[in-house]
Amino acid sequence: MVKQVIANATGSLFKDRQVPLLLTLLWIASFTLALYILEKSVLAFMGILLSLLLVYYTKTSQTVKVVLGALILLVLIPLVAGDNRYYMEVATQVGIYVAMALGLNIVVGFAGLLDLGYVAFFAAGAYAYAIFATAQANHFIPGDLFPLGGEWFWPFLLVGLIVAALFGILLGLPVLRVKGDYLAIVTLGFGEIIRIIFNNLNKPINITNGPQGLTPVATPVLFGVQMNTPFYYYFIVLFVIAFIVLANIRFERSRLGRAWIAIREDELAAQSMGIPLLNTKLAAFAAGASFAGVVGVIFAAKQTFIDPTSFTLMESIGILVMVILGGSGSIPGVVLGAAFVTILQVQLLKEFSNFLHGLNSSGVISLPNQLDPSKFQRLVFGILLILAALYRPNGLIPAKRNINDIEAIKKSRFAKEKLGILANLNEGKRQSG
Amino acid sequence: MALLEAKGLTKRFGGLVANENVTVEIEKGTITAVIGPNGAGKTTFFNMITGFYEPDEGEILLNGKSIKGLRPDQIAERGITRTFQNIRLFKQMTALENVMVGKHSRLSAGMLGILLNAKRVREEEERARVEAYQLLEYVGIADIANEEAGSLPYGLQRRLEIARALATHPQIILLDEPAAGMNPRETVEMTAFIRRMRDELNLTIILIEHDMKLVMGLSEYIHVLDHGQKIAEGTPEQIRTNPQVIEAYLGKAATEVS
Amino acid sequence: MLSILPQVLIDGLTLGFMYAVVALGYTMVYGILEFINFAHGEIFMVGAFVGTEVLLIADSLGLLQEMNPFVAFLLSLLIAMILSGALGVGVERVAYRPLRNAPRLVALISAIGVSFLLQDLVRFTEAVARNEFYLNSPSLFPGFLEVGGFAQVPLKAVVVIVFAIVMMVVLTLFINKTKWGIAMRAVAQDPSTASLMTINVDKVIVLTFLIGSSLGGATGVLFAQNYGTIDPYIGFILGLKAFTAAVLGGIGNIRGAMVGGVLLGLLESLAGAYLGPLTHGAFGSEYKDVFAFSILILVLLLKPEGLFGEAVKEKV
Repeated sequence: MVKQVIANATGSLFKDRQVPLLLTLLWIASFTLALYILEKSVLAFMGILLSLLLVYYTKTSQTVKVVLGALILLVLIPLVAGDNRYYMEVATQVGIYVAMALGLNIVVGFAGLLDLGYVAFFAAGAYAYAIFATAQANHFIPGDLFPLGGEWFWPFLLVGLIVAALFGILLGLPVLRVKGDYLAIVTLGFGEIIRIIFNNLNKPINITNGPQGLTPVATPVLFGVQMNTPFYYYFIVLFVIAFIVLANIRFERSRLGRAWIAIREDELAAQSMGIPLLNTKLAAFAAGASFAGVVGVIFAAKQTFIDPTSFTLMESIGILVMVILGGSGSIPGVVLGAAFVTILQVQLLKEFSNFLHGLNSSGVISLPNQLDPSKFQRLVFGILLILAALYRPNGLIPAKRNINDIEAIKKSRFAKEKLGILANLNEGKRQSG
Repeated sequence: MALLEAKGLTKRFGGLVANENVTVEIEKGTITAVIGPNGAGKTTFFNMITGFYEPDEGEILLNGKSIKGLRPDQIAERGITRTFQNIRLFKQMTALENVMVGKHSRLSAGMLGILLNAKRVREEEERARVEAYQLLEYVGIADIANEEAGSLPYGLQRRLEIARALATHPQIILLDEPAAGMNPRETVEMTAFIRRMRDELNLTIILIEHDMKLVMGLSEYIHVLDHGQKIAEGTPEQIRTNPQVIEAYLGKAATEVS
Repeated sequence: MLSILPQVLIDGLTLGFMYAVVALGYTMVYGILEFINFAHGEIFMVGAFVGTEVLLIADSLGLLQEMNPFVAFLLSLLIAMILSGALGVGVERVAYRPLRNAPRLVALISAIGVSFLLQDLVRFTEAVARNEFYLNSPSLFPGFLEVGGFAQVPLKAVVVIVFAIVMMVVLTLFINKTKWGIAMRAVAQDPSTASLMTINVDKVIVLTFLIGSSLGGATGVLFAQNYGTIDPYIGFILGLKAFTAAVLGGIGNIRGAMVGGVLLGLLESLAGAYLGPLTHGAFGSEYKDVFAFSILILVLLLKPEGLFGEAVKEKV
């Protein structure tokens, strides 16, 4: 009875899965206010993040959506949560994973290449910066030039991108000749190989400082300002995400994106349409890797300390869960998946864990250390993967195919004459006429 | 000089000889059929021409230049394309996008151009879209341009596959059982369409087909394979009366009785 | 350097035979479903925990001291085989069968999920039961065997090798001589024709998972005896190596899996022992996993059909 009333109400409210603009605005306003008043409220903070999803489903023009989204991300969140380091930290972490998941989305979602060693590229970017932004590089480059100052962070975003892309190509060259599920195992193997190498490359020449890791990594400096608080990283990450989202959208609607999806759908048919398999797959690998590389640089700077334990298989799996759960190949889906999984990990499980610890120390329950919910990672990832595979193989927000505007095609200035092989039609007419 | 020459093609799979010393010449602008009983090696022959299999022996020349050992995408770029016996569309893409994929090797946008959304790239995309739409019109399915390919009825999928192949701007198009699974009326339409396509678009067509009515009515020249070997070639008239061909199709008994 | 060679070879053989039996599980499932059962390593791990728990419980009840070690070993082996076999069948039923007609990657993703889920479930169970996540197995065969006066072979290594060989022989006989074994081979060759021949394909698949998983579980018990300490993560890397062995031998090929396993075990053991000295310490035994993965990658690139497999070409 109650269920039905709710169903009817939501049914009329969300016609065609769309939310009225007024409701969205109301939601944003109330949760902003709530977070402003109740500074520590996790719920209010989640509500604000959720409002982004609401904006996505709002019944309004694309421009209004973008403006609303930008307003929330650039103004409301920093304004209301800006002096709360914890929320900015969470938001930054969400951003880092969103960026990486979008990178993996190119490889797994578009090109259909199941890469279980994606974190290796993240590591490549992180080490590329950390080695030179600490004194580490003095071990193998003479002249005591290092560590580089924080202003070098900016060019190193590009260096991280290039290094990771090169890694992607170097790994891809052998690996991408392997097909389907074998590829998953081989990339997994390569991911582990890279981690083991980083872990042991403190001899014969000390390049990575091995298991001790690298610290202190220089924090970014811009116009003499030390950007060492979550507040700044939040904006850096946001800037990078904007770039990656734009790249994802442009790729998806391009010659390259079509080739990736064609390969995912049917390799043989793609080949017979003139798509070179290896090069096209390499492009996907390099593009995906380069995004992870940029994020790696930010990660190294933000943590100021990196070691090989940050780049384990679990990281790769985590990012894969985000892509699969959100919707492989779907940009909004992947953003949602990344946000959901990250918040689940860094916030919900931690809150739950703190709650249980509270009960534990007050003697209500006795909690074995191993049952601490913050260690539930594998369980949660495992269940999410199985459930997604069984019930939502296309994810929470499945990928939508591009609908082309037929009227625009008909009106195009190129539509005046027959193109391609159909140009022969005109010739034929001319000859006969 | 023939447009396409396959000389002494041999392909073995382990102990099985799928094609043995098959020689075929295709003249420009013709419609040629490759026929033969099941398992005669017709599809293997197609796979060698289109680069999916590399011949163990023999040579393949396009316009007098060897294309043996090239990858399928390189062969597509040189102007040989194909459709598949069991229709292989990109199911989750729209019909229009499927055709646009066919344009791949005729477009030049690189990663940087795409990222910067350069004017040249935008124009190229627009042209490609227009051309893809024109191709859909040409095969008569423009009204389903935005439908997902996998959800289309069978007959339309066949047409879409041909439109996609035409987008590669081929000289030669290989049709692997273009009328398979079609009813008689659809088969007649398809026959007329294939001929029109050849006439209007300056194409050379090679097809594999089991429907003898279609083969005899449509093709100008026929090659017959049996057990991997070419046993006969000629015009439909010659093939119709060739005792070896009748034997291959009907078995030894048939020739003895007649 | 040569003085350690016999020890290195024994270690390699012990490890290799374990790889071989686990590899059988991968290869059998792949042969029939063309699917990498990513969770097979975890089935092995569960077997190790079950077998060890049986021994630990028997020990705490005071039964272990009175039992003949072989009887105790066989008992733990049997229980581990039954439970891990049941687990394998259950996993197939719940997580794989509904996806049999789905794209292959979806089934693989489900298998990856099962793999991680099992790791944590075992960890939780042990955390609740013993407040630890690793176990130390009672050692049943502590002695050594003197061979020809130059090498001391640990008794446990002999047990591992002998049991592994017994399992492989029994499996080979089963597959070649029994009705169900022949049905399995038929389904592996051509499932649709086999089903026309009134072979129940579903039953054959269940049987395959049952056999593969119980062999995997049994190997877990051998592993626990040989190395003493087990944790929920032992299955992952060992599973990967066993998969490598299956690929090395030619996936889908039973004899190949056996040979591949033993070969990989020996290679890895040799690499672990001699990589360091040969490169003057620059690359030590820490690179032995790198070595094993490199073999996997090289085989897949250069000879994807493996040592004993037949080259297959994708059907166009």
